[in-house]
Amino acid sequence: MSTTDTSTSTPAWRLVAENEVRTVLRRKSFLITTAISVLVIVVGIIAAGYFADRPQDRTVAVVDDQAAQVVESADQVGRATNDRLTIEVLRVDDAAAAERAVTDGDADAALLTSDPGFEIVGDESVPGEISGPLTSAASTAALQANAAETGVDLAQLEQGTDVPERLLDAGEDGDGLGTATGFVFIILFFLIAISSGMMIAGAVAQEKESRVVEILAATVPIRALLWGKIAGHTVIAVGQVVLYLAAGALGLAVSGIDAGLGRVGGAIAWYVVFFVLGFMALASLWAVAGALASRQQDLQSTTAPAQALLFIPYFAFFFGSSTVQEVVSMAPVVSAMVMPARMAQEAVPLWQTAVAIVGTLVVMVLIIRVAARVYERTLLRTGDKISYREALTMSAD
Amino acid sequence: MITVNHLSRVYGETTVVDDVSFSVRPGRTTGFVGANGAGKTTTMRMIMGVLAPSAGEVLWNDAPISAHDRRGFGYMPEERGLYPRSPIGEQLRYFARLHGMSAARAGDRVDELLEHFSLADRADDILDALSLGNQQRVQIAASLVHEPTALVLDEPFSGLDPVAVDSMVDLLSREAADLPLLFSSHQLDLVERLCDDLIVLSGGRVVAAGTVEELRSRGADRYRIEFASNDAAWLRDVRGLDVLDVDGTTALVDLDGLDATELTRLVVERAPVVEVARARPPLSEIFREVTR
Repeated sequence: MSTTDTSTSTPAWRLVAENEVRTVLRRKSFLITTAISVLVIVVGIIAAGYFADRPQDRTVAVVDDQAAQVVESADQVGRATNDRLTIEVLRVDDAAAAERAVTDGDADAALLTSDPGFEIVGDESVPGEISGPLTSAASTAALQANAAETGVDLAQLEQGTDVPERLLDAGEDGDGLGTATGFVFIILFFLIAISSGMMIAGAVAQEKESRVVEILAATVPIRALLWGKIAGHTVIAVGQVVLYLAAGALGLAVSGIDAGLGRVGGAIAWYVVFFVLGFMALASLWAVAGALASRQQDLQSTTAPAQALLFIPYFAFFFGSSTVQEVVSMAPVVSAMVMPARMAQEAVPLWQTAVAIVGTLVVMVLIIRVAARVYERTLLRTGDKISYREALTMSAD
Repeated sequence: MITVNHLSRVYGETTVVDDVSFSVRPGRTTGFVGANGAGKTTTMRMIMGVLAPSAGEVLWNDAPISAHDRRGFGYMPEERGLYPRSPIGEQLRYFARLHGMSAARAGDRVDELLEHFSLADRADDILDALSLGNQQRVQIAASLVHEPTALVLDEPFSGLDPVAVDSMVDLLSREAADLPLLFSSHQLDLVERLCDDLIVLSGGRVVAAGTVEELRSRGADRYRIEFASNDAAWLRDVRGLDVLDVDGTTALVDLDGLDATELTRLVVERAPVVEVARARPPLSEIFREVTR
């Protein structure tokens, strides 16, 4: 009379995974936190882009044509290194009017002819972005004038003074996009891994606390419960990572700095790969933390090892020397957090990436095997909190 | 048929279940009784596979039981437990699917059970929002939701009011009429009312097992005799009788050499008799006797 047919039905671990996802997605706190995070990412990037990208219009007051010419060439000099900079000429009648324009704020600086050459006049200071171009243009103008006066061939004189640079290992350096991406990678990894990990541990502990685990264990293999938990929460965590990265890409696109996206695009793809590996390696440890607890309050201590494995790379990245970073970026499991951040910042040799991935895979398999055994032995044991030492030496039940 | 074969469970130095053997036959409601700590729950947990036996085995239809077999069983653990924060309809569907039911069938089945318990309109409420009695109903529904092949219920009636007990009995007789059904209880009146077979556990051992009739008629043949007006005390002098109690015109006797027809003839000859009837000892007495 039974309609039970396990051969054709959905595998138990998938049902468990679906149930986990459904439970998390129903939680209002989760939805609100995720929505706020997306909003903060989009708005934050757009705001940062706005302030970073705002055109810098500077005005320089001049009295005569000679100074006006210098300002025009300063505009070109400035634009060569900073394409958002425009230096405009403000014609005034005399030096006093020029100084007044500077004090009144009509001009950012004034360029006055003095004997010999030029003089830059500022209010409290001369804005850094124009003092360089102005000085350079003015000294060139003075040099040209002097050369003409003394009959020197300036071109001949300048020969060889232009010293070009030749880089043997041209890094993709620029506006710090790589550095910023690396920081974001680390923080995002840390936050999502911690919060999702705590959700796994909490879900397991709740099933123990409410005793529903006895029915579950009598129905499906305990390992299926473990795989389901890992799979479900990996989907949620990776979903969050992808969502936040998409929000970041959207922010970059809207703010018009998407030019850099292609440069860190490869690192982003690696990031997702490393996140999946790193998260899955730790997921079973979080599940064990839940199985060792007998109540939610026990989680604080039972989750300590998993938390430590996230704190170590976090601090190593922010406070470690570059050697420490390099080592951590290749160490099993913790590499998952640091390696993609390094990849966003610099060219990482392929063998180092390979070491990180292979090491993490091997340790992941080891952790899962030990964790599955501990999980099976501790899940149905209620009453007291169980220590890791006790759990590892516990006999099969 | 569930068969338990020389099952034992040892915790350290303590033997909680000691060489227990019995069968739960299809269509037979089997009561599992015993004092607290007699080993009922431990035995049931071993049947359900959530606890490994120290020795012995569990058979399903005469073959060693598999995880697949157990997936078809319905189980109600002693320590009740469901998801406190999940809607009841959703979690019942989840349990049905874990037991291997299709999504569509699970949906229909959950509606049907909630209907039976008059909880259909509360399907979307979380468990914690329900009264304790209703939570208990949902717990029972969780063990029946997948149309089980056998039922193992640990104290299914504890905490239920008489109306809820009747509703549950009604449901079980409809749902589980053809199934092997093992339930433990310390409410002996209920066990007497519901059970076909009985297993009495004491100190981890089976001290009595059989049909309820067999158990009740085992030991001495007991008769209740009521005279119209005469004092029954003279029965004490009759050879072949063991008089247990005399109360005015009535007496309770165990046959001890005499047989029933001789007894009847004897009393009818002596005085006007209202009744000579076989007296089955109540289960509670048998229980006390075998667990002594």
